[in-house]
Amino acid sequence: MSPIDATRLRQRAAIVQALRCQLADDGFLELHPPVLVTGPALEETLEPVRADGGYLHTSPEFALKRALAAGLPRIYAITPCFREEELGRHHAREFTLLELYLANAGYLDLIPVVKRLVAAAARAVGAPLPSWRSRTVADLYGGTIPQDDDTFFFRWVDTIEPTLTEPTFVLDYPARHAALAEVRGDIAERLEVYLGGMELGNGFSELRDPDELRARFARSAERRAAAGRVPHPTDEGVIDASARMPRAAGIAIGLDRLVLALTGADDIARVQIPR
Amino acid sequence: MAYETSDFRNGLKVEVEGEPYAIVYFQFVKPGKGTAFTRTKLKSLLTGSVIERTFRSGETVGTPDVEEQPMQFLFNNGETYTFMNTESYDQVEIQGKVLGDDAKFLKENLEVSVLFYKGRAVNMTLPNFIEAQVVQTEPAVKGNTSGNVLKNATLDCGAEIGVPIFVSEGDWLKVDTRDGGSYVSRLQK
Repeated sequence: MSPIDATRLRQRAAIVQALRCQLADDGFLELHPPVLVTGPALEETLEPVRADGGYLHTSPEFALKRALAAGLPRIYAITPCFREEELGRHHAREFTLLELYLANAGYLDLIPVVKRLVAAAARAVGAPLPSWRSRTVADLYGGTIPQDDDTFFFRWVDTIEPTLTEPTFVLDYPARHAALAEVRGDIAERLEVYLGGMELGNGFSELRDPDELRARFARSAERRAAAGRVPHPTDEGVIDASARMPRAAGIAIGLDRLVLALTGADDIARVQIPR
Repeated sequence: MAYETSDFRNGLKVEVEGEPYAIVYFQFVKPGKGTAFTRTKLKSLLTGSVIERTFRSGETVGTPDVEEQPMQFLFNNGETYTFMNTESYDQVEIQGKVLGDDAKFLKENLEVSVLFYKGRAVNMTLPNFIEAQVVQTEPAVKGNTSGNVLKNATLDCGAEIGVPIFVSEGDWLKVDTRDGGSYVSRLQK
């Protein structure tokens, strides 16, 4: 069993406290979504941990969207999430997400929110304040985005991601990688945040078209079945919420990775209590 | 026999495109909304050079035809290092450029593990710890036994490492070879 890194756990606590203060200052309400759920998030390539006939959530997305639709316009949760088959320096089966939603906003409005949060967290541990840059996915692929998914992701991991060593917002994904983002032409209104060379978070202008959402559930189920995976069930709660919720943007930030990036640790086990 | 990416660990010997490598770094990567990969750094068992390679999860690599034998270091003639099997007295040569920094710990009669690839000696692994005598260092400072302050010392095998300031010329040391050479303790001889 790995030893407990007391210094980093103190830093982690300071970061969480600073994030909560900043979120309160920015008018966000903290919610406590259920961890045990009937359907995992719509993430084709994520394997949920099964529990008691249901699942442990892979993210609090569906619960928070229902709260958004119920009239809570600025909300967040800091919650443990669970993903099967993910283990490594930057992955743990159980990890913590900070997920937030902002009504009457689009994905680019997430950028100042994230900048303020990361700055508050950095100040809490005396880390240098990041100086951010933005790049579109098309820029990063030199103008031509590969059409097939395998080439897209292989080049991303093999050659592009290793160059994202500066704090970076990556913007405008191809429409077929929209997940639950609003699509404009052939561009998904989606961004990712990179800090310390790690993918820290993923945000969208949230899709609000229930028919399109149902179609994406169906498409994901088909592709999972074709790959020999159990399809994720269609979540009627989030489809219903999508029709009623205001225009909104949301982002999930890996809290463990934020602590890694700001404290210079090289393994997620250093910022968690090892099991 | 083949290895999957989930079998990867540091030190695992694999065959990639007909070349034998040891994994010296591996990392699970899963891009947002994407499938999983394993990013690696592979050290060639033939040349010692390191390449970077990304594998798709579930991709397999071969097992190289390698075998290890304990052998004694005999001598080097500048470019090559000669080792002997102490039972059969067979001798093999390994190129110095493959050994890299590890060569500085080789001392006559040191027992190492020689790696054979397809029957040919291609590399060797040092023992984790060696014993070596200090041949040159600044005079010892008595009384300071904290071990926190280091000075340079040249060892009889030729390596230069950092040692605590209470160490004197002529002292025998236990040295860890895995991190380029670090002081472990003084030995009673």
